[in-house]
Amino acid sequence: MIVVDEYLAIRSLVGDTPSDLPDDVLAITTSVHWRILQRLHLPGGGQLSQAMAALSEPGRAAFRRPAPEILEILDPRPLLDQAAEISAAYGGTGLLIAEMLTASLHHGRTLWYGSERNVGRRTRDIARDLGITVNVVT
Amino acid sequence: MTKGEQLLADMRRARRSGDPRLDDADRAILRRLTSGDIADEFAEALAQDLADDDLLGGTSPDGK
Repeated sequence: MIVVDEYLAIRSLVGDTPSDLPDDVLAITTSVHWRILQRLHLPGGGQLSQAMAALSEPGRAAFRRPAPEILEILDPRPLLDQAAEISAAYGGTGLLIAEMLTASLHHGRTLWYGSERNVGRRTRDIARDLGITVNVVT
Repeated sequence: MTKGEQLLADMRRARRSGDPRLDDADRAILRRLTSGDIADEFAEALAQDLADDDLLGGTSPDGK
Protein backbone atom coordinates (compact mmCIF):
# COMPACT_ATOMS: atom_id res chain seq x y z
CA MET A 1 0.00 0.00 0.00
CA ILE A 2 1.30 3.44 -0.85
CA VAL A 3 0.17 6.79 0.53
CA VAL A 4 -0.78 9.36 -2.11
CA ASP A 5 -2.00 12.94 -2.32
CA GLU A 6 -5.17 14.46 -3.74
CA TYR A 7 -3.88 14.51 -7.32
CA LEU A 8 -2.98 10.84 -7.48
CA ALA A 9 -6.15 9.91 -5.62
CA ILE A 10 -8.28 11.61 -8.23
CA ARG A 11 -6.23 10.14 -11.04
CA SER A 12 -6.75 6.68 -9.55
CA LEU A 13 -10.52 7.17 -9.74
CA VAL A 14 -10.17 8.23 -13.36
CA GLY A 15 -7.93 5.26 -14.16
CA ASP A 16 -5.12 7.54 -15.22
CA THR A 17 -2.30 6.94 -12.77
CA PRO A 18 1.25 7.74 -13.93
CA SER A 19 3.15 4.78 -15.32
CA ASP A 20 6.00 5.28 -12.84
CA LEU A 21 3.70 4.99 -9.82
CA PRO A 22 4.26 1.60 -8.13
CA ASP A 23 1.65 -1.01 -8.96
CA ASP A 24 0.18 -1.21 -5.50
CA VAL A 25 -2.99 -0.40 -3.60
CA LEU A 26 -3.30 3.37 -3.15
CA ALA A 27 -4.36 4.95 0.11
CA ILE A 28 -5.18 8.44 1.34
CA THR A 29 -5.51 9.86 4.80
CA THR A 30 -8.80 11.23 6.05
CA SER A 31 -7.54 14.80 5.83
CA VAL A 32 -6.64 14.31 2.17
CA HIS A 33 -10.09 12.90 1.59
CA TRP A 34 -11.49 15.88 3.48
CA ARG A 35 -9.80 18.29 1.08
CA ILE A 36 -11.15 16.38 -1.90
CA LEU A 37 -14.64 16.42 -0.38
CA GLN A 38 -14.45 20.18 0.13
CA ARG A 39 -14.51 20.56 -3.63
CA LEU A 40 -17.88 18.81 -3.68
CA HIS A 41 -19.50 20.17 -0.57
CA LEU A 42 -18.01 23.63 -0.26
CA PRO A 43 -18.31 25.10 -3.70
CA GLY A 44 -16.80 28.51 -4.25
CA GLY A 45 -17.13 30.52 -7.40
CA GLY A 46 -15.43 29.97 -10.67
CA GLN A 47 -14.97 27.18 -13.12
CA LEU A 48 -13.95 24.62 -10.52
CA SER A 49 -17.33 24.76 -8.83
CA GLN A 50 -19.13 24.61 -12.14
CA ALA A 51 -17.12 21.57 -13.13
CA MET A 52 -17.75 19.77 -9.87
CA ALA A 53 -21.45 20.53 -10.09
CA ALA A 54 -21.50 18.87 -13.49
CA LEU A 55 -20.38 15.50 -12.13
CA SER A 56 -22.99 12.78 -12.41
CA GLU A 57 -24.51 11.40 -9.21
CA PRO A 58 -22.60 8.11 -9.54
CA GLY A 59 -19.48 10.18 -10.17
CA ARG A 60 -20.05 12.16 -7.00
CA ALA A 61 -20.55 8.89 -5.12
CA ALA A 62 -17.16 7.67 -6.36
CA PHE A 63 -15.64 10.81 -4.88
CA ARG A 64 -17.52 10.59 -1.62
CA ARG A 65 -17.07 6.88 -0.98
CA PRO A 66 -14.14 5.58 -3.02
CA ALA A 67 -14.14 1.87 -3.76
CA PRO A 68 -11.41 0.39 -1.52
CA GLU A 69 -10.11 -1.84 -4.29
CA ILE A 70 -9.19 1.38 -6.12
CA LEU A 71 -8.50 3.85 -3.33
CA GLU A 72 -8.42 3.12 0.38
CA ILE A 73 -9.09 5.67 3.07
CA LEU A 74 -6.89 4.99 6.06
CA ASP A 75 -8.51 4.74 9.47
CA PRO A 76 -7.16 7.80 11.32
CA ARG A 77 -7.62 6.45 14.83
CA PRO A 78 -4.54 4.23 15.13
CA LEU A 79 -2.38 7.02 13.66
CA LEU A 80 -3.71 9.96 15.62
CA ASP A 81 -1.46 9.83 18.68
CA GLN A 82 1.68 9.57 16.58
CA ALA A 83 0.43 12.31 14.28
CA ALA A 84 -0.12 14.61 17.24
CA GLU A 85 3.37 13.80 18.47
CA ILE A 86 4.90 14.66 15.10
CA SER A 87 2.88 17.86 14.86
CA ALA A 88 4.02 18.97 18.30
CA ALA A 89 7.64 18.03 17.67
CA TYR A 90 7.77 20.19 14.55
CA GLY A 91 5.96 23.26 15.80
CA GLY A 92 2.35 22.59 14.94
CA THR A 93 2.25 21.17 11.46
CA GLY A 94 -1.50 20.74 11.27
CA LEU A 95 -3.34 17.51 10.73
CA LEU A 96 -2.81 17.24 6.98
CA ILE A 97 0.97 17.06 7.14
CA ALA A 98 1.13 15.11 10.39
CA GLU A 99 -1.34 12.49 9.22
CA MET A 100 0.41 11.97 5.89
CA LEU A 101 3.83 11.67 7.48
CA THR A 102 2.54 9.23 10.09
CA ALA A 103 0.75 7.15 7.47
CA SER A 104 3.93 6.96 5.44
CA LEU A 105 5.87 5.72 8.45
CA HIS A 106 3.47 2.78 8.57
CA HIS A 107 3.43 2.17 4.82
CA GLY A 108 6.90 2.02 3.39
CA ARG A 109 8.30 5.39 4.51
CA THR A 110 7.38 6.94 1.20
CA LEU A 111 4.89 9.56 0.09
CA TRP A 112 3.65 9.95 -3.45
CA TYR A 113 2.46 13.26 -4.88
CA GLY A 114 0.97 14.00 -8.26
CA SER A 115 2.02 17.63 -8.37
CA GLU A 116 5.19 19.39 -7.31
CA ARG A 117 3.22 22.37 -6.04
CA ASN A 118 1.30 20.13 -3.64
CA VAL A 119 4.49 19.40 -1.68
CA GLY A 120 5.40 22.19 0.69
CA ARG A 121 8.80 22.98 2.11
CA ARG A 122 7.70 21.90 5.57
CA THR A 123 6.65 18.49 4.38
CA ARG A 124 9.95 18.01 2.60
CA ASP A 125 12.00 19.14 5.61
CA ILE A 126 10.18 16.98 8.13
CA ALA A 127 10.05 13.99 5.80
CA ARG A 128 13.81 14.21 5.33
CA ASP A 129 14.26 14.37 9.09
CA LEU A 130 12.09 11.28 9.57
CA GLY A 131 13.71 9.28 6.80
CA ILE A 132 10.65 9.45 4.54
CA THR A 133 11.11 9.64 0.78
CA VAL A 134 8.91 12.13 -1.05
CA ASN A 135 8.19 11.18 -4.67
CA VAL A 136 6.49 13.33 -7.26
CA VAL A 137 5.10 11.66 -10.38
CA THR A 138 3.11 13.43 -13.05
CA MET B 1 -1.04 -18.89 -14.47
CA THR B 2 -2.37 -20.08 -11.11
CA LYS B 3 -5.79 -19.16 -9.81
CA GLY B 4 -4.18 -16.76 -7.36
CA GLU B 5 -2.12 -15.09 -10.05
CA GLN B 6 -5.21 -14.72 -12.20
CA LEU B 7 -7.10 -13.20 -9.28
CA LEU B 8 -4.32 -10.72 -8.55
CA ALA B 9 -4.08 -9.79 -12.22
CA ASP B 10 -7.82 -9.15 -12.32
CA MET B 11 -7.56 -6.97 -9.21
CA ARG B 12 -4.67 -5.03 -10.72
CA ARG B 13 -6.58 -4.51 -13.95
CA ALA B 14 -9.64 -3.27 -12.05
CA ARG B 15 -7.50 -0.92 -9.98
CA ARG B 16 -5.77 0.49 -13.03
CA SER B 17 -8.99 1.10 -14.91
CA GLY B 18 -10.48 3.45 -12.33
CA ASP B 19 -13.89 3.61 -10.75
CA PRO B 20 -16.62 2.32 -13.08
CA ARG B 21 -19.11 4.72 -11.50
CA LEU B 22 -17.40 7.55 -13.40
CA ASP B 23 -18.64 8.01 -16.92
CA ASP B 24 -16.59 9.57 -19.71
CA ALA B 25 -17.85 13.07 -18.94
CA ASP B 26 -16.93 12.67 -15.26
CA ARG B 27 -13.45 11.51 -16.19
CA ALA B 28 -13.00 14.49 -18.47
CA ILE B 29 -13.98 16.84 -15.64
CA LEU B 30 -11.54 15.26 -13.22
CA ARG B 31 -8.72 15.43 -15.76
CA ARG B 32 -9.36 19.17 -15.97
CA LEU B 33 -8.71 19.36 -12.21
CA THR B 34 -5.43 17.52 -12.17
CA SER B 35 -3.86 18.67 -15.41
CA GLY B 36 -6.27 20.76 -17.42
CA ASP B 37 -7.63 24.26 -17.59
CA ILE B 38 -8.80 24.39 -13.95
CA ALA B 39 -5.68 22.84 -12.43
CA ASP B 40 -4.56 26.22 -11.07
CA GLU B 41 -7.91 26.86 -9.47
CA PHE B 42 -7.86 23.39 -7.95
CA ALA B 43 -4.36 23.93 -6.53
CA GLU B 44 -5.37 27.27 -5.06
CA ALA B 45 -8.46 25.74 -3.45
CA LEU B 46 -6.33 23.06 -1.80
CA ALA B 47 -3.95 25.69 -0.47
CA GLN B 48 -6.83 27.82 0.76
CA ASP B 49 -8.12 24.88 2.83
CA LEU B 50 -4.92 25.03 4.85
CA ALA B 51 -4.96 28.78 5.23
CA ASP B 52 -8.57 28.75 6.43
CA ASP B 53 -8.28 25.96 8.96
CA ASP B 54 -5.64 25.86 11.69
CA LEU B 55 -6.45 22.28 12.63
CA LEU B 56 -5.81 21.13 9.10
CA GLY B 57 -3.06 23.54 8.13
CA GLY B 58 -1.31 24.13 11.42
CA THR B 59 -0.60 27.27 13.35
CA SER B 60 2.26 28.47 11.20
CA PRO B 61 1.67 27.04 7.76
CA ASP B 62 4.01 27.90 4.98
CA GLY B 63 2.34 25.92 2.27
CA LYS B 64 2.48 22.31 3.31
